[in-house]
Amino acid sequence: MDLNETSEESAFRAEARAWLEANVPASPLPSFDTEEGFAQHRVWEKKLYDGRWSAVSWPVEYGGRDADYIKWLIFEEEYYRAGAPGRVNQNGIFLLGPTIMEVGTEEQKAKFLPSMASSEIVWGQAWSEPNAGSDLAGIRSKATRDGDDWILNGQKIWASRAVWADWCFGIFRTDPTADRHRGLTFILCPLDLPGITVRPIAQLDGDTGFAEIFFDDVRVPVANTLGEENKGWNVAMATAGFERGVSLRSPARFSEAVNRLIHLWRTYADPTDTALSDAVTDVWMQAEGYRLHTYQTVTGMLEGRPIGAEASLNKIFWSEMDVRIHEIALQILGPEAERMEGPFERWVDGFLFSLSGPIYAGTNEIQRNIIADRVLQLPKGM
Amino acid sequence: MKFSFTEDQRMFAAGLKDLLANECTPEHVREAWEDHTGHIPQLWARLADMGVLSILVPESAGGMGGNFVDAILLFQELGRAGVPGPVLEHMAVAAPALAKTSWGPSLVDGSQIATLWVDNSPYVAHAQVANLVLRNDSVITGFSSSDAHGIDGGRQLFTISGGTESAASAQVFGLAASDVMALASAAYLIGASERMIEVAAEYARQREQFGKPIGSFQAVKHLMSDALLKVEFAKAPTYRAAWSASTGAATAVRDISMAKALASEAAYRASRSTMQVHGGIGYTWEADLQLWMKKSWALMRAYGDATFHRRRVGASVLSK
Repeated sequence: MDLNETSEESAFRAEARAWLEANVPASPLPSFDTEEGFAQHRVWEKKLYDGRWSAVSWPVEYGGRDADYIKWLIFEEEYYRAGAPGRVNQNGIFLLGPTIMEVGTEEQKAKFLPSMASSEIVWGQAWSEPNAGSDLAGIRSKATRDGDDWILNGQKIWASRAVWADWCFGIFRTDPTADRHRGLTFILCPLDLPGITVRPIAQLDGDTGFAEIFFDDVRVPVANTLGEENKGWNVAMATAGFERGVSLRSPARFSEAVNRLIHLWRTYADPTDTALSDAVTDVWMQAEGYRLHTYQTVTGMLEGRPIGAEASLNKIFWSEMDVRIHEIALQILGPEAERMEGPFERWVDGFLFSLSGPIYAGTNEIQRNIIADRVLQLPKGM
Repeated sequence: MKFSFTEDQRMFAAGLKDLLANECTPEHVREAWEDHTGHIPQLWARLADMGVLSILVPESAGGMGGNFVDAILLFQELGRAGVPGPVLEHMAVAAPALAKTSWGPSLVDGSQIATLWVDNSPYVAHAQVANLVLRNDSVITGFSSSDAHGIDGGRQLFTISGGTESAASAQVFGLAASDVMALASAAYLIGASERMIEVAAEYARQREQFGKPIGSFQAVKHLMSDALLKVEFAKAPTYRAAWSASTGAATAVRDISMAKALASEAAYRASRSTMQVHGGIGYTWEADLQLWMKKSWALMRAYGDATFHRRRVGASVLSK
């Protein structure tokens, strides 16, 4: 155990910090869940890519730096420290990208990864359906083989970034006779094809961060299949495992939020209110604990101990922590916490967004089931 | 940056786990409770032989020459087995602190037993089986002890009086005895919590109601998952605290407090949830669960409780 950075890691941190200080936009960009904001975030992603900072853990040939996970965490720390924009293509770079690297063909890697790293193609995700949410295996959208094409029919919902994204990825039923988890295939699909209708859904905050996607005889080449036909569930679970594991919410995000919370507490709170100072200390410990836990997980991955169902623990932990951080902020803000616009809107926006955390990427109740079944080895059953 | 244990550190902990699986079963622990010593002499000798008691004692004084990173998984294994007696007090503080005194050799080989009297408590745990009591700046021998009836039969509490005092330092790696004990207790509590969860999971697999194992019910699954969550997220902070304490980091005391606060709360949660999963049998003397629950309830309050330690963390991170 050595919790000090190596000189190489420190040099990497310094390089990232210098670049970010010179390049991060001076004022925050509009939300990427608005049309204007989406376009500006795409420009920012291109700038990151040109500096080779958009996907630091990817191989050099696809636009990355071959950085190990420790360096990825260091980059994330610097990214949040610099107050840099949200990652509009996170569905692609952090979810789909690693999956393509794991199961994709060489042609698929060459075709999809560089344009993903540069955000020339921004990806939306299309997992859930009206009747397949927590019960994701209940997917009904179909892909029917016609020569070298799939014909897609059905409906996806809660498709994040899909309103302005260029492509989407999801799983479709290809063998209607197979069991629920079998007979599904992972397919990549442009969102501008004939037969596709994207209907934006206004979120709790009013922005259209997700959408419904309707597929009506949409034709995509079979070459767009990721992984084996009828093995889409396994491919999707690899993606979802990585998502819940380390990539979706890096610790730096919460450390940065807690630092802002401490600043808020110092500026506005009554320091003799020990219930409040205990609460602030508690979330500081949670953020720090999550950071340490992640460094431990990542060291384990580097030493050949892959992350498994424990990823579900992470997802519960960070999503509940995020809600708690914002609840405390709103408590400190008092009457100001009622305003959607004004000097503190980031906290109110952040509170609304934090409430989605325990729901998306598999509800926390589903995660608890996964932990109970796979980590604690409790008997299956509902 | 490398946040992991070496193969040697893991192997040593695994060896201790194996030893304890045979030499410190719930039956052994119950015997120690019931004979009112709270101590297992045969086990003590084995822990001395294996080098567990002297893990933090410098090699020059006949010990293993380890630091807290070497010791932390051992504390955790001791907790998993619910080892009774002054093992933490002896190995984490007394043996290394007194290593270079005339008591050193007998503490390394385990022929004498030491315990601690920390400033924030009127009680001395394990005094009845101890040959000497280490205070902040002195060693007391030849004292008489009076039972204060602790809740944990493996951590019997006493008040002591009389005896002879001689000057000594209770610092280890430059840290106060109570801070070292907070660190050791945090790891012990994590081990105890893991064991409670393991025992309750086994019970939930076996026990049937409504024609099914109770572990198949979501209400039970979620209780158990939440208990595990708190334990898992107390581990990395505890291991980090061991590293900080070993390397003289400026944040060592803060990091120890963070570990003790999180581990104390995790252990309490684990005790509540696992007892609930046991139902009526969980509220009996017969159920082994009490061996770790009561240890948890004792150690979560000893050497500073979660509130004390959280406020110490707060004083460090909230001040400008």
